[in-house]
Amino acid sequence: MDTSKRKEAKMAITSIKNLKEFSTNNDRFEGAHTLCPGCAHSMIVRELMNCTDDNLVISSNTGCLEVSTAVYPFTSWDTSWIHIGFENAATSVTAAQVMHQVRKKKGTLKDSDAPVKFVAFGGDGSTFDIGFQWLSGAMERGHDFTYICLDNENYANTGGQRSSATPIGATTSTAQAGTHSYGKKEKKKDIVSIMAAHGSPYVAQLAPNKWKSMAKGFQKALETEGPCFINTVSPCCTEWKFDPKDTINITDLATDTLMFPIYEIIDSHELNILYRPKNLLKVEDYLGAQGRYKHLFKPENKHVIEQIQDGIDKNWEMLQRREEARI
Amino acid sequence: MAVKYDLNEREVWDGNFAASQALRQAQVDVVVAYPITPSTPIVENYGAYVANGYIDGEFVMVESEHAAMSGCIGASAAGGRVSTATSSQGFALMVEVLYQASGMRLPIVLNVVNRALASPLNVRGDHADMYLGRDSGWIQFGAFNAQEAYDLALCAFKVGENHDVRLPVMVHQDGFITSHTAQNCYPLTDEAAYNFIGDFVPVDDLLDFSRPVTYGAQTEEDWHFEHKAKQHKALMDSRSVIDDVFEEFEKLTGRKYNRVESYDMEDADVVIVGLGTTVETARVAAKQLREEGIKAGVVAIRCFRPFPFDLVREALEGAKAVAVTDRSAPGGAMGAFFNEVAAALYSTDTRPLVTNFIYGLGGRDFSIDEAKRIFREQQAHADAGHITTDIQQFSGLRGPHLGYFQTKRG
Amino acid sequence: MQDQNLRAGSNRGEKELGGELVGWDEVTQGIILTSFDGDASGIAHMKAEERNYSGFNSYTASVAAWRVRKPVFNIDVCIDCQNCWVWCPDSSIISRDKQMLGIDYDHCKGCEVCVEVCPTNPKSLLMFGENEDLETALSQWPEKKKKEK
Repeated sequence: MDTSKRKEAKMAITSIKNLKEFSTNNDRFEGAHTLCPGCAHSMIVRELMNCTDDNLVISSNTGCLEVSTAVYPFTSWDTSWIHIGFENAATSVTAAQVMHQVRKKKGTLKDSDAPVKFVAFGGDGSTFDIGFQWLSGAMERGHDFTYICLDNENYANTGGQRSSATPIGATTSTAQAGTHSYGKKEKKKDIVSIMAAHGSPYVAQLAPNKWKSMAKGFQKALETEGPCFINTVSPCCTEWKFDPKDTINITDLATDTLMFPIYEIIDSHELNILYRPKNLLKVEDYLGAQGRYKHLFKPENKHVIEQIQDGIDKNWEMLQRREEARI
Repeated sequence: MAVKYDLNEREVWDGNFAASQALRQAQVDVVVAYPITPSTPIVENYGAYVANGYIDGEFVMVESEHAAMSGCIGASAAGGRVSTATSSQGFALMVEVLYQASGMRLPIVLNVVNRALASPLNVRGDHADMYLGRDSGWIQFGAFNAQEAYDLALCAFKVGENHDVRLPVMVHQDGFITSHTAQNCYPLTDEAAYNFIGDFVPVDDLLDFSRPVTYGAQTEEDWHFEHKAKQHKALMDSRSVIDDVFEEFEKLTGRKYNRVESYDMEDADVVIVGLGTTVETARVAAKQLREEGIKAGVVAIRCFRPFPFDLVREALEGAKAVAVTDRSAPGGAMGAFFNEVAAALYSTDTRPLVTNFIYGLGGRDFSIDEAKRIFREQQAHADAGHITTDIQQFSGLRGPHLGYFQTKRG
Repeated sequence: MQDQNLRAGSNRGEKELGGELVGWDEVTQGIILTSFDGDASGIAHMKAEERNYSGFNSYTASVAAWRVRKPVFNIDVCIDCQNCWVWCPDSSIISRDKQMLGIDYDHCKGCEVCVEVCPTNPKSLLMFGENEDLETALSQWPEKKKKEK
């Protein structure tokens, strides 16, 4: 594995040897936010903030996370945080990072040596759709930051409209399943490949149920110099229609059916699969556990389930081949 | 360390070059920019300074104007001096972010080189973009020539960064007519210009880790009104700071700027109110007409946000007939400045006769002769004691006369 | 049995969401919110009860009213695996020095994720009615489930 492009970590890494060690970290994301009970966004944010002791400057696009964690007069963020609009978290945090460089050079920072990492959060709506250009620009410019997409496969904050991250066959309020439709017909954008194609030194797809690979992946992204992108599966009980208590169970199904394979790509060409299910499940197990796919179990929609399984199988085959070929 | 740039006492600069020099002298920490005609040379010149070592800061070329202003916000919140430039479509694209910048009370300086808005597509100078941003919550200055584009940019940093103000500031100049016309300019030395502005002192610094801050919280129906009211008050209160800064600038350079400029207004009967290069054209016309015995004067609203309601009244209440000229497609109403000026004059005892001219759209030339024609028409109103034409007219337009609404007074 | 006010800063959960409505002259400039009072350097190394949270931090607010059921923690059964800590969406599992201590009832929404991910048999966290008192709940703890043959 060629690590020449990844500089040695000067980051205050927290130990993730095991969960007990990891739990000795002090949360910097506070409760009494207004995210739905059981929301995976919060699990992911807590993991990010617990995987380092460094100062963090965080930006968020408009979305569930932003709208639930900073409503005047309360903020749930214990680090500096900025929200401008729906599109531009990547731009705002990278511009802050540039200002940091300038002020460090000019000596106008309060604490010039304080380590800091710059992180942007966006939902799938802002990442895949309305903020796509802004993310692409920030990636192309090569800023040193990490972008984490909280992928719940819809515009959850506004009531569950379709995004280009919504998978085939899911019902959303703007691509509904009905007598004349089985829901979304278009394929989900392969955001990880798109970001890798920008020449990012580190991209990954991670899941909160595999907390260790998620924490390690976050650490790798933070310590890798350059623009890093991580897509995280964030099951949404409200829009995927499952009981809030089952968030981790659903995530387990997502990773064990390989609907959400967990992998990383280093320097755009070195792919490593990070989780191989011991018992590979059929996609029906995953689809059947969520209300948004309920209609697919009607006989006339059976072909869609086959299409979904086929897509998963082909994708998994591709990932394995790339990993083997080290490309 | 930035390389020193030796300036002559008198330089020959166009408006774009003048603006870019002001940015260089202000030692902007981060410029986040995107090119658009006719403001492109501002960022190109700045790029040339960067490439040749004249800038200590960073220069980030982003992928759209919306991203440019978004980057300016992120960088400004991170506690440094920030500026950029744009026009027309780019301005329209970043309008959403303009409101966000002012709501967050960040002292960004935006150089707007005014250009018409599509459709149809046009790259020439008119004020459509300026008008689009009227309610965006920014302090706004109008520069009427290259010298002013330079001077007002320096003033903009000083005003916006004042801790009693903390608001973003726009400096407007006419696309092509000012931006691309070379004129004599008398710059300050690098040292004098920077010292006039002073060091940037951050407020609510994202990079102050001893005091984490949250920018951009949401406010619903129980909080939004109070925040916007507070912002409006800050804009209104900035007037005294602007006056102080203009006074200080006069001591430094001998050039005095006023939030409302009055030319030959001591005894004027007939007035043209204008912005941009129109002001100088109207002034020349007024001087020529004075020789014919017509007491003509010109009023320009130098700082039109916050709108100088009281000063506009003061400047115009002694006149008999006032023509307010709007260089922006009015979209089904009287011109915006006509509306604002007329509203101010409504609360006077004298209530001069006020008419509206739409002119110069898409870079259509506004000539001295046209200005004289308008003055003469005002004289006709003044003589008759009432408006003798339509209240709104198009000036300099080919084709049949286009005008709307007649007065009910007299 | 855990203390209902377990490891709390002095102002944890004292406010309702929404806050006290003040006038335009008292809202913050630019809607800025500060997370802490005083110097917050090194906050990552401080536990919640050691921090000086500002009145603007949601730590000082409570979402207890969201619950109709609450998780109850049984320290006798718990093996300190920290599953509940890592997966609680509301930072409401109080864990100190690798030991699970209990629930932050000011911030817990009763989502039941902690119960789902608890691996012990019987579980160390179970849901009870919101108004059930802890002692009664603990006395009702089920026995170890036998594996079905």
